[in-house]
Amino acid sequence: MNKFVREAKLWLIAIPILLWTLLPIYHIFLFSISTKDSAFSGALWPAKPTLHNFVVVFRQEHFYLHHFWEQIWNSLWIAVAVGVLTLAVATCAAFAISRLKVRGGRIVMNAALFTYFIPAAFLAVPMYKAMGTYGLLNSRWSLVLAMVTLASPYAIWVLKQASDKLPWELDEAARIDGATPLQLFRLVYVPLMMPSLVAIGTYALILAWNEYLYAFLLLSHENTIPLAVGLGHFLASDDSPWELLMATALVYALPPAAIYYAFRRYMVGGLTAGAVKA
Amino acid sequence: MATVAFREVQKSFGATKVLHGISLDIAEGEFMVLVGPSGCGKSTLLRMLAGLEDIGAGQIAIDGRVVNDVDSKDRDIAMVFQSYALYPHMTVRDNMGFSLKLRKEKQGLIDERVATAAKILNLEPYLQRYPRELSGGQRQRVAMGRAIVRDPKVFLFDEPLSNLDAKLRVAMRAEIKALHQRLKTTTVYVTHDQIEAMTMADRIAVMHDGRIEQLGEPLELYDRPTTLFVAQFIGSPAMNVFDGIVKGGAVEALGARWPARGGSEGQKVKYGIRPEHLEPAASGIAAEVIVVEPMGAETELLVKIAETSLTVMTRGRSNAGPGERIFLAPQAVHAHLFDAASGQRITT
Repeated sequence: MNKFVREAKLWLIAIPILLWTLLPIYHIFLFSISTKDSAFSGALWPAKPTLHNFVVVFRQEHFYLHHFWEQIWNSLWIAVAVGVLTLAVATCAAFAISRLKVRGGRIVMNAALFTYFIPAAFLAVPMYKAMGTYGLLNSRWSLVLAMVTLASPYAIWVLKQASDKLPWELDEAARIDGATPLQLFRLVYVPLMMPSLVAIGTYALILAWNEYLYAFLLLSHENTIPLAVGLGHFLASDDSPWELLMATALVYALPPAAIYYAFRRYMVGGLTAGAVKA
Repeated sequence: MATVAFREVQKSFGATKVLHGISLDIAEGEFMVLVGPSGCGKSTLLRMLAGLEDIGAGQIAIDGRVVNDVDSKDRDIAMVFQSYALYPHMTVRDNMGFSLKLRKEKQGLIDERVATAAKILNLEPYLQRYPRELSGGQRQRVAMGRAIVRDPKVFLFDEPLSNLDAKLRVAMRAEIKALHQRLKTTTVYVTHDQIEAMTMADRIAVMHDGRIEQLGEPLELYDRPTTLFVAQFIGSPAMNVFDGIVKGGAVEALGARWPARGGSEGQKVKYGIRPEHLEPAASGIAAEVIVVEPMGAETELLVKIAETSLTVMTRGRSNAGPGERIFLAPQAVHAHLFDAASGQRITT
């Protein structure tokens, strides 16, 4: 009986949360399978569901979609680059701070974390200026570098906490076995950190995939913007093609969902690894 | 095989001095055990020899070569850790061959060495397994195997048996000893367990508060402890020790006269006598039996004399029961006298 009550309470909380989360997604889905006329009908299911919107999207048959494949490629390129670069920066930093105990390492990490006190929106203008100075504006690299900057402090912190948990004796055993710091990194540290690395890589990748503000600021050409900004362009006209916007959005939402699903085993463990100071 | 020499080795952590000038020579092929209570500096000394801690002052030499500024990997040593420190992502085979792989040895040689070590340690069926699939004793053997394949000059053991259960510990003790007899590699073994020290060592260095209290063969330490600390640390059950005063060629203590040699008239002493030297007799010092612990081959009695508890060990069975009075007849040759103030041995 007691168990039943507890279970019931959990359901009472879970169901509203689930509805709250799924409602917008259902809304997107509903729009994407509706015809232009029926999109705003208010029905819970369209009278004539259609996949035509997706055909239009994939064939780039609309003014706003002329660069669809190019833009989704940009999104992918940028996200993967951000994931890889963030991982490279954060893994090396965490290894140096946590395992090699580099002097001043903690200060560097705390200083990096301190940057989170400044909202990313505040940093957008200086970032724009900096990229301009380096002549990177309108190059995908500008967004990659900006996103790596934003993702790295958190990534370093999580990886540092995770690597603190690796037994110290492993490093000592490896040192006695004759490993140089680089060999220790490559042959012992990285393999053991793999779950956390996957989690952090995914985190950075999805962060970049979803980014709008910086992408909008730093990239302005139809050929260089990621799809997130491309989606924004749909709203530029008075009569926006909502059904196409939603179909594109749904397509755009699928890769991160797939990645998250594939690595879900690592995500929960990896992202909370640093949560408690053990 | 190699010699190891510590010369006036010191170490401080911040303001705390943990080693006060340790000097110790370890012979080729010797099995040296460093034993002492936790915090005595024994592990620090071992880690300095391994190159895992900086040497504060003094010198450490392996085979005559001073290694103070030599990297761990160039000292030609192998270490077995208390936590085993096996690489969790490598199979037993890869764990054991790791050091050779780092040295860029040929795969053929690595396989051969690993196979030999696995045979010695009965690990052949487990070579493809991962550490998590092994029991504690098997992991310990893999850790030893990793040390063996390198054929190092010196083996270092840092409390290798502490994580094992009692029965396995005894078995592994014998295995390590047998291994040493077979390989004859100079070995430095750190433990807090005096029984491990007694059973395995060629020589024991008893450490206390960052100093070597006494250095000697196991039975020498047992029979002639030079300080009160060693007397109480070595031996199980521990030596009985109580306060007394030397009077007329014996020691007056606990309201009785205890035979002893040495000491000057009126000197305040600590009188020490091992439980097996306090056998019950027909007459002598009266004691009340509190607890009887029969162990088969021998019987341990907890007795009380003048509100002081003493342990008595008798061979065979005892028919004494709790509350009974028995008599103890200690002999002067078995008594250990220590100065009450300094704790130094007085008895000749």
